[in-house]
Amino acid sequence: MEPLLRLINIRKTFNSVKDQKVEAVDEISLEVWEGEFLCILGRSGCGKTTLLRMIAGLEPPTGGEIFLENQLIRGTDPNVGLIFQEFVLLPWRTVLGNIEFGLEVMGVDQAQRRRKAMEYIKIIELEGFEHQYPKELSGGMKQRVAIARAIICNPKILLMDEPFAALDAQTRFNMQKFLLSLWEKTGKTIFFVTHNVDEAVFLGQRLILLS
Amino acid sequence: MNLKRAKSLFMASAVLLMILTPLLGNPCAMQKVRLGYLQSDLHQLAAFVALEKGFFQQEGVQITIGGIFKAGPEEMTAFASRELDVGYVGEAPATVAVANKVADVKIVAQVNLEGSAIVVRKESGIRSLQDLAGKTAAVPGYAQVQDFLLRKALLQNTIPSRSVNVIIIKPPEMIPTLQTKQIDAFVAWEPYPAKAITKGIGEVLMYSGEIWPRHPCCVVVVDTQFLGKHPDVVRGLLRAHVKATHFIKGNFEEASKIGTKYTGMDLETVKLAMKSIVYEYVPDEEGLLEYVTFLNKLGTIKVEDPGEFVKRIIDVTHLHRVLKE
Amino acid sequence: MKWFSGLLLLISVFLWQLLSWLGILPPYRIPSPLGILKGLSTLLVDGLPPGYLLHRHALESLLRVFYGFGIASALAIPLGIVMGWSKIIRAILTPFVEIVRPVPPLAWIPLAILWFGIGIKSAAFIIFLGAFFPILLNTISGVLMLDVRLIEATKVLGARETDILLKVLAPGALPSLWTGLRIGLGIGWMTVVAAEFTGVKSGYGLGYLIMIARDIQRPDQIVGGMIVIGFIGYFLDSILRRIESRLLEWM
Repeated sequence: MEPLLRLINIRKTFNSVKDQKVEAVDEISLEVWEGEFLCILGRSGCGKTTLLRMIAGLEPPTGGEIFLENQLIRGTDPNVGLIFQEFVLLPWRTVLGNIEFGLEVMGVDQAQRRRKAMEYIKIIELEGFEHQYPKELSGGMKQRVAIARAIICNPKILLMDEPFAALDAQTRFNMQKFLLSLWEKTGKTIFFVTHNVDEAVFLGQRLILLS
Repeated sequence: MNLKRAKSLFMASAVLLMILTPLLGNPCAMQKVRLGYLQSDLHQLAAFVALEKGFFQQEGVQITIGGIFKAGPEEMTAFASRELDVGYVGEAPATVAVANKVADVKIVAQVNLEGSAIVVRKESGIRSLQDLAGKTAAVPGYAQVQDFLLRKALLQNTIPSRSVNVIIIKPPEMIPTLQTKQIDAFVAWEPYPAKAITKGIGEVLMYSGEIWPRHPCCVVVVDTQFLGKHPDVVRGLLRAHVKATHFIKGNFEEASKIGTKYTGMDLETVKLAMKSIVYEYVPDEEGLLEYVTFLNKLGTIKVEDPGEFVKRIIDVTHLHRVLKE
Repeated sequence: MKWFSGLLLLISVFLWQLLSWLGILPPYRIPSPLGILKGLSTLLVDGLPPGYLLHRHALESLLRVFYGFGIASALAIPLGIVMGWSKIIRAILTPFVEIVRPVPPLAWIPLAILWFGIGIKSAAFIIFLGAFFPILLNTISGVLMLDVRLIEATKVLGARETDILLKVLAPGALPSLWTGLRIGLGIGWMTVVAAEFTGVKSGYGLGYLIMIARDIQRPDQIVGGMIVIGFIGYFLDSILRRIESRLLEWM
């Protein structure tokens, strides 16, 4: 069986202010298998966010290649979903509007969009909040909307960049449980990045340490 | 202090400031005579001549230019705020200002008679006043002499004034708008009619002298308080004015050159314009009476007794003294 | 507390009227409140010039403003979004904008009359110049201030360039854009009044009205006209504010 995602000698170098080269990511190779929950554990500033952004197609690698199902990743792709730490919902859209966004962009008609979005509202347990704006939601709720927004497009892999770091301990715990049950139900491949050891151990099937 | 309090205090101070500010503007001691006149108005050639040839100085009158104005009403506002002592101005705006109690001046001499014209676009096909019906004509100001002349001309020819679309445009804009067919005719003071002719854009339908022979136009006005305090200065001024008026009559060439200097228009235009202006210094009471009656009817001013008003605003005692000398 | 500011205003007006009665504030310097009311009523009932009623003057001025402001918005908003989004376009167009912007719209009047005559088009042109730049600049800034991650998040969801322009930049820039619209409308309204001073073909307009009142030396009608202008300006802005609070309820 082929791995779903393959990173080969991925490198990222930035030019710092003084025109010095900063090695953000240094020669990383790894594989991700379909359906697995993979956790990347690393200190803050070790380049894990940069790594994630390269896989999402937001930054081009300075060296090396990334393959998704043997296709080279050249830019953003709806097959690769991304969850940010700061949620990054569109503030002018309601919960429904945010969840529907990906389908809208794909050209799905309104009735179908609405139906699917309502399904996912149930999954993330936010019935009754369909027409609220993000400003009226708590952190945990916002992140759930972000997750729904991402997985409604059926990406092959879901990247998550320290998604619960901005939440309080109790909410974080609830969200971790929620994510696990979601993973068990959907079988999505999850690429989860964090600096929290407990979280990585609790969630991940497999752990990779980044130094 | 919360926001609401601050807001009400601010509003109150704003109103207070609005009330107090007019009280603050007051002139300081008068040393020279502050003279005002109209920009590019060839009617007021006597003023230009007197300034250029130094007639005022010869009579011992120290002149500073208090302002050069685009239109009569603006000059009258300057009188209202006590910025001028003496002015060459249209009789019409002066009359309106005094009747509406905005300014307090006396007419001490005439400056010119006639000198306006109804101008139509060349090739517009307008040959007579009747042809103006349904067309657009521009006048320099509401109820000004030119407006009056147009109405009078229409009335004399039993044309209802409503049949002509009369709008107000400032003279500098009249020629371009005539050229671009925005308007079909305009009524203005010289040198604008002459300019329309020399530019090849318009031709004169009627000179104002044909509508109202020897009608008054510009006058010399003096702030009433100033007149009371310095009658001798005013008399010196009048001497210079009379001298200048005579000069124009006897020295056409030189006067026209002075005209080009002060109006900025070319010599050909100035000479053509001067031909239709009658330079005269004796005020015409009848003419003014007719004009005051017209304004009264229009509702622009409310004067109980036009005759008495005319007698009050014209003060020729000083002119007569000067002429007797 | 609202009654307090109302009371203060009433007292100031009463003081003003009193000073006028006592002759301390002569009417030719500043008309009394009653005088202004009287002047206003003549504008409403008789009109100035007689037969030209106030509401027609106001309507004409409003028409000119909507024309000019409408075109300004239609051009400035899309241009602003594009200029905010594309560094290259911004670099090319900014010099032109920065040279034309400082020129006061009123300076364009002689040219406007030459190009467009004295009808509604030339006034609309002057208003356009006044309204265009605030709307443009505020739209650009609205786009530039957007969180980059919003755009990244939508890119990841498959948004193409048009999607980003229409579904992210436009709504995202709306708060700043709307402020630009309010400023633009305010300037547009001020400009129309001044632009009408030079003359209008239809014979109607609030600026034109004030010019006539000035010609016949009626300060009471001048101030009456000014009050109407002030009220309409306030009213226009309050409409925009109402719409703003509906459009931006997500903030």
